Amino acid sequence: MTERGDLNYDLPGLITAAHELKSPLALVRQAALLLDQADSPDERARLVHQIQLTAERALRLTSDLTRAARLDDAMFSLEPINPLALCTEIVQDLGNLFRQQGRVLDFQARRHPLLLVANRDLLRRIVTNFADNALNYAGADGAVRLQVKALQKGQVIRIGVRDYGPALSSDMWRKLQKRLSKQDYQEVHQRPQSSGLGLYIAERFAEVMGGQIGAIRHRDGATFYVDLPSSRQTSLL
Amino acid sequence: MKILVVEDDNWWAENTARTLEKLKHQVVTVSHAVGAIEVIDGFQPEALILDMILTGETGMALLHELQTYHDTSKLPVILMSSLDNLNLDDLIPYGVKRILDKATMEPGDLAAAVNAL
Repeated sequence: MTERGDLNYDLPGLITAAHELKSPLALVRQAALLLDQADSPDERARLVHQIQLTAERALRLTSDLTRAARLDDAMFSLEPINPLALCTEIVQDLGNLFRQQGRVLDFQARRHPLLLVANRDLLRRIVTNFADNALNYAGADGAVRLQVKALQKGQVIRIGVRDYGPALSSDMWRKLQKRLSKQDYQEVHQRPQSSGLGLYIAERFAEVMGGQIGAIRHRDGATFYVDLPSSRQTSLL
Repeated sequence: MKILVVEDDNWWAENTARTLEKLKHQVVTVSHAVGAIEVIDGFQPEALILDMILTGETGMALLHELQTYHDTSKLPVILMSSLDNLNLDDLIPYGVKRILDKATMEPGDLAAAVNAL
């Protein structure tokens, strides 16, 4: 049995995690309660689907938290990865979730990008996290677009998630930039109902792969991105 | 009653609208505060259901904005939020009549809050 003193308690982290999980759990609970009042099979099916997909989002978050907590003592293999193939997989995986909310997730690549070096699982989690975030942030008719491009003469590969929601307010943008420059670990809202935990997780994952995350503000939305070193390996996977 | 729902979680907005529409209310949903101001001018709601943590400007910013116009300053507001540190007494001056905690509310609570306006 573990002694209490052996545990590495991180109360602020626990509070943040609890807050982050509250929104999807509240929605699952509410949808379950509404099931009792559903007056048609279609309505029941719609609510059951909401419960299922929202629970999956919450579970993804708990999986990310577990991974983030173990980053320091775990070995993560890095390998050359084709970003086009990875983004295509993510678009397929999240397509149903986006369609259920009347949104579109697509993929755009400029030119033929090089391979990058990363841990496949962690990179998938970063991009999925950004896409999940953009799902809430995108406007009612706005698509969310994965973008891949090479920077610094091909030494760096950037995978970005562009949304077309309302522009980040200046205040929110300043907080975000402060957070990304590591001057502030507490107060940032990567997305409306977020306490910033998703951003923290993405940042941790990127760091252990020798990369970094960032954000670009547009007049009609934002791009969250991860930069990773390109692979010198020229053959495609 | 004409009700504007300002909620940036798509499924919360959808479920809220469906609940109110079953009660024969006329509902419009928007996902952010800027859109709410635009809709208020045309839709002229009789009540506002408002989430506090929104994309872009917060619900609090919208409440402040509504207080600056004579025709919207008396618009009754029901807050529906996951935040658990909201105090009704602090928000009454902004037209807030009721606070619903998303984590504990029952579906009937929304109808009751609207009916009480």
